[in-house]
Amino acid sequence: MFKHIFSGMLLTLVLASPVFAGSAADDIQIIDPWAREVPPGLTTSAGFLGMKNTGDKAHRLVAAESSNTGMVELHTHINDNGVMRMRPVEDIPVAAGATTTLQPGGLHLMLMMIKKPLKAGEKMPITLIFEDGSKKDIEAEVRHFSMEKMNRMKMGH
Amino acid sequence: MKRLAWPLLVFFIYAAGAHAWSLFSSGKEERYPGMGGDFTLRSAGGDVSLKDFRGKVVLLYFGYTSCPDVCPTSLGALSAALKKLSPDEMAQIQPLFISVDPARDNAKRLQEYSHYFHPKMIGATADLDYLKALAKRYGAYFRKVEVENSSLGYAIDHSSTIYVVDKDGTLTDMIQHSGSTKRILNHIRAVLTEAP
Ligand SMILES: [Cu+2]
Repeated sequence: MFKHIFSGMLLTLVLASPVFAGSAADDIQIIDPWAREVPPGLTTSAGFLGMKNTGDKAHRLVAAESSNTGMVELHTHINDNGVMRMRPVEDIPVAAGATTTLQPGGLHLMLMMIKKPLKAGEKMPITLIFEDGSKKDIEAEVRHFSMEKMNRMKMGH
Repeated sequence: MKRLAWPLLVFFIYAAGAHAWSLFSSGKEERYPGMGGDFTLRSAGGDVSLKDFRGKVVLLYFGYTSCPDVCPTSLGALSAALKKLSPDEMAQIQPLFISVDPARDNAKRLQEYSHYFHPKMIGATADLDYLKALAKRYGAYFRKVEVENSSLGYAIDHSSTIYVVDKDGTLTDMIQHSGSTKRILNHIRAVLTEAP
């Protein structure tokens, strides 16, 4: 009897759990997550990554958080004839089978009120939260600007 | 035929005028007539004037230190380009970061920030009105905007261009797409070779 109730509870937990197969967190594959080292005296930086949707349903990144920041926001840059306008976005969509890339000059995780200065080579823990409430813990590699060569930038004229 | 004559005539007058002007002005044609010019800003090391750097090629960038992405990407690319220069070439260069956020960027912070990108880079700023007039003269744009649904407080929309001032203090080049090290390097080298 007791065993039955217990296994019933377990089943409910598994079913309700966001890590159950088919969740956004399961479908989304993270590619090369990194964060920019912060110049001395500053507490804002940006995080970048690719999100590949391996599922057959569209997903959306709706929020992010990190124990090393006071706040993480989802931002984009609008390139308006060479003027870069940084603005928050409500979510970042990833179409089924597609990859959405957060990269310099465009979409980024805005890391704000950073508690411990980010030093190149360290890992920055970040939790990504998707539209169905499922979460994905990632570790972004902190990079010095000289290590960013491979990160193309779409900005300027 | 008659329709063509007028524009042609205007063109010839213009061309002749421009030619005469270029002969008149020591044979050097100004690429950005009426733009650029001298200025004085404050830095951790005291006042900095463009005049102080006659004989050097000055690289100007307008930005602000709490800019999380555009400024560090541009300054990082600029820094990488400067590292590719020979000591002899570098001796002819003065990079200057101009903060358009004097409310948050004090002289000490600007110095630390600039040195992070290059030991020779000077960080400087001025009063907002002065900066506005200066940016306008160089063709740079910046505007403070309140950002809704964000704990940013405010952001500063800004253009991201490196302005190249030649050894005589004349604005001679603008490097757009300032995220590309190769592009910046090509532009710097071109200016260094065209100037004696
Ligand atoms: Cu941002």
